[in-house]
Amino acid sequence: MSESVEPIQHGSLLHYRPWQGQLEDDSRWGVFLFVGVQTVLFTVMATISDLHWLRLACILLFVALWGLVVRSRAWPITRVALLMVFRRKLFWVIYTLAVLVFLLFFFGQYLMSWALTQFGETEVRVGGMGRANPKFLVDLFRDQLKMNGSAEMFRNFFWYEGYTVMVILALAGSILVGNDIRFGSLAFYLSKPISRWDYLIGKGLAVAVFVNLITTIPAVLLFVQFGMLEDWNYFLEQSRLLVGILGYGLILTVTLSLVLLATAVWVRKTVPLIMTWTTLFLFCRLLSEALVNNLQFDPRWRLLDLWNSTMYLGHLCLGIQETQIRPWPQPAWEETALVLGGVCCLCLSYLILRIRGVEIVT
Amino acid sequence: MPELLDSADPGRRDRHLGQMQNPSEMPKAEGEVPHAELPLSRERKDQPLLLCQRVSKWYGPVLGVNQVTLELRSGITGLVGANGAGKSTLMRLITGHLRPDLGQVSIFGIDAWSAQAKRLVGYCPDVDAFYEEMSGWQFVEAMARLCGYSRTESRRRTEAVLHRVGMANRSDRRIRGYSKGMRQRIKLAQALLHDPALLVLDEPLSGIDPVGRAELVALFLELAEQGKCLLVSSHELEELEKLTDHVAIMARGRIAAVDTVARIRDRLADHPLTVRIDLRKNGGPLANGQSYRHHRDLAAQLLAEVPEVCGVEIVDSPHPLVGRLLVRARQAERFFVELNRLVLDECYEVIHLETLDSSTQAVLGYLLRK
Amino acid sequence: MLANSTSEVLIELERVSRWYGTFQALDEVSLRIAPGRVGLLGPNGAGKSTLLKILLGLLPPSAGSGRVLGLELGRAGTNLRRAIGYMPEAESLIPGLSGADYVGLAGELYGMPRRQAMRRAHEVLTYLELQEARYRKLEEYSTGMKQRIKLAAALVHDPPVLLLDEPTSGLDPAGRDAMLELLRVLGREHGKSLILCTHLLGDVERVCETVLILHRGRVLRQGSVAELCASRQDRFRLQVAGDSSAFGEELRQEGAILIQNNGKGRLRVAVPEGWNPRTFFVLASNHGVTITGLERDDETLEELFHRVLREADTPVPRVLETRHV
Repeated sequence: MSESVEPIQHGSLLHYRPWQGQLEDDSRWGVFLFVGVQTVLFTVMATISDLHWLRLACILLFVALWGLVVRSRAWPITRVALLMVFRRKLFWVIYTLAVLVFLLFFFGQYLMSWALTQFGETEVRVGGMGRANPKFLVDLFRDQLKMNGSAEMFRNFFWYEGYTVMVILALAGSILVGNDIRFGSLAFYLSKPISRWDYLIGKGLAVAVFVNLITTIPAVLLFVQFGMLEDWNYFLEQSRLLVGILGYGLILTVTLSLVLLATAVWVRKTVPLIMTWTTLFLFCRLLSEALVNNLQFDPRWRLLDLWNSTMYLGHLCLGIQETQIRPWPQPAWEETALVLGGVCCLCLSYLILRIRGVEIVT
Repeated sequence: MPELLDSADPGRRDRHLGQMQNPSEMPKAEGEVPHAELPLSRERKDQPLLLCQRVSKWYGPVLGVNQVTLELRSGITGLVGANGAGKSTLMRLITGHLRPDLGQVSIFGIDAWSAQAKRLVGYCPDVDAFYEEMSGWQFVEAMARLCGYSRTESRRRTEAVLHRVGMANRSDRRIRGYSKGMRQRIKLAQALLHDPALLVLDEPLSGIDPVGRAELVALFLELAEQGKCLLVSSHELEELEKLTDHVAIMARGRIAAVDTVARIRDRLADHPLTVRIDLRKNGGPLANGQSYRHHRDLAAQLLAEVPEVCGVEIVDSPHPLVGRLLVRARQAERFFVELNRLVLDECYEVIHLETLDSSTQAVLGYLLRK
Repeated sequence: MLANSTSEVLIELERVSRWYGTFQALDEVSLRIAPGRVGLLGPNGAGKSTLLKILLGLLPPSAGSGRVLGLELGRAGTNLRRAIGYMPEAESLIPGLSGADYVGLAGELYGMPRRQAMRRAHEVLTYLELQEARYRKLEEYSTGMKQRIKLAAALVHDPPVLLLDEPTSGLDPAGRDAMLELLRVLGREHGKSLILCTHLLGDVERVCETVLILHRGRVLRQGSVAELCASRQDRFRLQVAGDSSAFGEELRQEGAILIQNNGKGRLRVAVPEGWNPRTFFVLASNHGVTITGLERDDETLEELFHRVLREADTPVPRVLETRHV
């Protein structure tokens, strides 16, 4: 960008200046390449069993590659969407709740390992019942609370954070997509040299940021913290768990972003969106629980409950034994995956249909 | 549409007057058209149709209109001014949607805020606020029912007004799919429902295609001919000029001038008229043996002999045989009399005579720049 | 990248048609538009918006082919939109963003690097005299500012062609003047080609060199205003002060035909051959009337528009219409 020296004229500031830069061409291949590479990496890290170092490398590469998203054509759309939501005070209030859950686990782990170092081998009296080894007590306590860096700990963490995710998404949905349709911003985006896919990817990325900001990222932090507190070998031995965390996050992200975008395009305004969202996730949940738990219907009725389906698949990702999964019984995981995939496809086709119908030139 | 404009029918008008003389016998029957109760006494007929007396309106600390005085009796009046000058506020005050904070708005002497006055005023708002799921017909009929007409009467009136605005064959479609022009027509139709004496139209021509605009202009002129009084705001001054030469110019919440455009132009003493005169340079000899004189002579003569002229500029003309003058002059009337005299006595062949800055556009520009 | 913008032809369409189901919005439109300022006129349903969508690559043509700046229609969807700066009619703002962010976002979406986009956004905003408002939120903007920020978003990547859909809608007279002046300067001094789509014929007259009249999916006329409008040597528009009825009567006796007298001193007359405009002054002085305006009554763009539509709707023999030409 070299501008030639020109003589200063009167009012030259108000003069129109041409722009000499180059406009970047968009290439579809970048997206395909990205998706391909990430899929391969994920498959490799999920299937490797003994090569811990390789798995860890794959994980690191998988995470690092997400940084490339910033270079994508859809990123400006995501950035603006995030900016809009970050400006809301309510978002920060709810996000604080999510952070509190994280802090509970974070300091819980500290507390436990601190307690362990403090007691040593001396025995202590326990309420007149007898004597016990404090290390044994703390370990017992720790395992009961699942503050032990196991799959169950992360299951619990995801479980608690799930509520805040739901609330935040319900709030963010109308800001992310509903407003674009209501105020005609969609015409602005689509009249630019981007395709409708770029728009959808951009908005989907924004939802992904919220979901991962609350679930995956803190979970990974907890994983790292536990490894540092306990034993460095934890990273290698439990790297399978890290894949599970990422997988769980991925399932949540894909499902929730598609369902959210579809509902937000459909109802547009905040309050109806929250109502629809509540119906979809809370009412269906209560209904399926009542049917399966109380009325002893076929466990397939649980497929009504999208939230349960994502959780169930997520638990399987984390590698939790069937006996540990609650609620139980569940339908076969293939069925659940099929239903969830079907819902995602349905949402996607609805989105494409609706966005194709937008009139840019009136 | 004779069946709609029943009050244009003299027999009907007499019935109103008759009822007024016996107010206690005012009909309350279900089927009766509410506006037949209208008290239009002879004294009230003498009062101006619309009278705004030093009206001011605030929205919280924001001033909407400021000490506006306006009197309308008949015909079409254009309301022009910049965005935010208070046009829409004034219109809403007149239609009784807003109550003035100071001053008084009256329709035939009745306070515009009252329900009685509202029956005399039809309003076509500038914003699109419809029940989008309704068809045009349903919407207008619902408005008719809100006016208090019986079901059959509502239907009759709806049909009549829709026909009148040229929507009769398109009114069964949902409003959601209407174009801007069709929306404007539906708004106009609902304003005409109760056959008001005063029609207040806020930006009725905006966003309509030229064909539709020509039709609406014709319709407005026809309504005015039938004795309705129209107050029309518009940004499209060319269109407004086709409708009327009587305008009220608003600026910063005040009415800067109400008059015909020509007279307002005359009163702008600071801005002399710019008149373009094209003369043929060397035409053939006249019948009496004289030949045409040069445009420079006219320039000299104008400067020397006509006191109203304050400047003459000889400009290049696109044609070699045509001389062009730009004359700056005050007091249009006297100037033109003098010019006519010169042209006749001194043998100039004027082929083009045009005042460049007497349009509404120019007048508005001068007034607002002051 | 952008095609060579100095090419002779801006838009070239060859028998482009577009159907929506059985409804034909464009009917074998063939066009060649040279770079310059073009007004696109047509009543509702003329196919204007379909044409715009095809030019913007939002719709492929059902049949036919064409090029905009050398880019093939129907194939180069996003590239077309990158070559064209489009200012939509709808209020396509993003509430919550500031003016500078909005224009910068537009620049990024057009494919500018982020920093360049921000720098360029400020430059364009300054040029459009929005520098004071650029950090304010878009929803606080006035109508005039909203129109200008939309123009800024179309101008940010410095496109050779601007496609403007109703750029003056909702503007007050002063705002409209300013916008039209801006467009004229952009076209005349900065070499931008403009395609101006509007219902306001006055806008086209003030900005455009050529007009294109579209009706029922066909191009009815294309050319400069002066070429298309009939020049009428034998008709005059008069503006008189004083009682015009007697004056009009006398004109009639002299062989002139009074086409219109609006009763407020505005007359249109058709005069016989060899008529000297001086006669008007002579006759006027006989009746104590002053002539304050005298113009040849050439066809205006508006009259042309209505005439062309009428001709298209009722195919009359053209012989009748050439009377005034």
